[in-house]
Amino acid sequence: MSAAVRFELRKLAAQWRVRALLLAALLGPIPVALVMSAQANPPKDTLFGRFALDNGFALALMLLGFLGQWVLPLLTSVVAGDSFASEDQHGTWKTVLTRSTSRNRLFWAKVLVNLGLTTLVLVVLAASTIASALLVEGAPALTGLTGQLIAPGHALWLVAAAWLSVLPPLLGFTCLALLMSVWTRSSAAAIAVPVVLALAMQMLGSVGTLEPVRPFLLTTAFESWHGLLTDPRFTGPLLEGFVVSAAWAAVCLAGASFILHRRDITGG
Amino acid sequence: MRRVLIPVLVPTLALVLALAALTGLAFATNPGSTVTKARLERALPAVFAHVYVQEQRLAGRTGLTVADLDPVAMCDRGGPSVADTGPGSDWVCLMSWQDPEVPMPTEGYGKFELTVRSNDCFTASSPSKLVGYATMTDASGKTVTNPAYEFDGCFDPDTSNTPTGHTFPSLLSLTSTTAQVDASGHPQVQLGCGTGSDGCAGTLTATVATADGSTGRSLGSVPFDLAEEQVKTVTLPGRLRAGDSQVVVTLSTTTGVGSSSPATLAVQGATG
Repeated sequence: MSAAVRFELRKLAAQWRVRALLLAALLGPIPVALVMSAQANPPKDTLFGRFALDNGFALALMLLGFLGQWVLPLLTSVVAGDSFASEDQHGTWKTVLTRSTSRNRLFWAKVLVNLGLTTLVLVVLAASTIASALLVEGAPALTGLTGQLIAPGHALWLVAAAWLSVLPPLLGFTCLALLMSVWTRSSAAAIAVPVVLALAMQMLGSVGTLEPVRPFLLTTAFESWHGLLTDPRFTGPLLEGFVVSAAWAAVCLAGASFILHRRDITGG
Repeated sequence: MRRVLIPVLVPTLALVLALAALTGLAFATNPGSTVTKARLERALPAVFAHVYVQEQRLAGRTGLTVADLDPVAMCDRGGPSVADTGPGSDWVCLMSWQDPEVPMPTEGYGKFELTVRSNDCFTASSPSKLVGYATMTDASGKTVTNPAYEFDGCFDPDTSNTPTGHTFPSLLSLTSTTAQVDASGHPQVQLGCGTGSDGCAGTLTATVATADGSTGRSLGSVPFDLAEEQVKTVTLPGRLRAGDSQVVVTLSTTTGVGSSSPATLAVQGATG
């Protein structure tokens, strides 16, 4: 198993898109923070947008709310969507399976490597966004979602926790992209479909009359950090988000595993 | 072409169908919206107390605390015919609080307009006459954003949904600025009843205005009964004569609150 994981890691590290992704996560937030701080009017329609022009914590949280809509799903599906489909494109299934490893091992190696990469991308993106937002706009006390003032030292922890809280739904999207990658055998489709679905879920969740469906959507968990910024704090939606994300991930991985095992690779 | 399209289309369609099935399932087990009157009535005062104290601190007042303010709210969505639940931009909350330097108006509350989203967060805009405008002057003379003028808040969807029991009366007001004369010479005025618990009821009395301010010829009185967030035109029994240029209207309320001081309206349209 560890040999398969190491092999997948080497394949990933050699890809230009993985390097580009990490570089984008590291450097992308800097121009965004600079452009935001130069705006004349604050984007009040997004949560924390009201304070986003002169408070680094608020800017980092506003960007988190904004990125959750489709950028985060795109970041993970860019690599995960390519993972299985690239073996189809290069016609390498027979090579990897007959020579080096079992189908099951290869599947879990790819899953593990992709989940790990997504986690790394999120951590880099979070650290870079928070750091650039604070450097550009400073770190005054933050007005929370109960109107309470949060001291800068405490606000930093809360903002970091809010960013990390989107990891479960993000990994859910990774699994969705992996499923599409196995199923469609097309990188383009496996990258695009999760992003389109994220947008669709976002829309479904924001329509007032469709409120009952909200708890089951992956994108709802992208917003469950709100409870961390209120006083008293609430974590019900966070836990719900974990469960829903885990369920999506389990269903997607089970589906992907089933399809991969049923495939006739010798013929393709 | 088929070789490329089918492997892509089938999974995509399957996912869309799965999402549709999920929506159906969710509706079958519909637990109701998490956005409710009671939750807003608890969440709005909690947020407002903080931002109002913050505003007063900026202005240089340090004595006021969140606990002193003790705000109480009553929320309503879209008038009497709309259920008070669910996200929307038609929520109105009436709120009163204790600030010795800013007493409440006669109706006893300020009116807040809320946009509530399905993610259990809301944006509230405050009544300027009690809270001030978008910008304010701070203690050092700088122009700063007024934190209480417009503010965001979120509430826990798992908190208590038991009614708070807070009620405020509707505010009755004369919405017409003139007295319109109908075809048969009767003056008509328009009344508006604001958001509140029971609507507005009472009697409207009118007289013809005189030059010296003495009580003029009576135009009679009419009872009225309005639901909250309703506007109604009231026709007075008396007729206007040629030369009557102004009428004096007095409102007395049995339900709801309104100014009881007489209002003078110019007559609009043909008389006599």
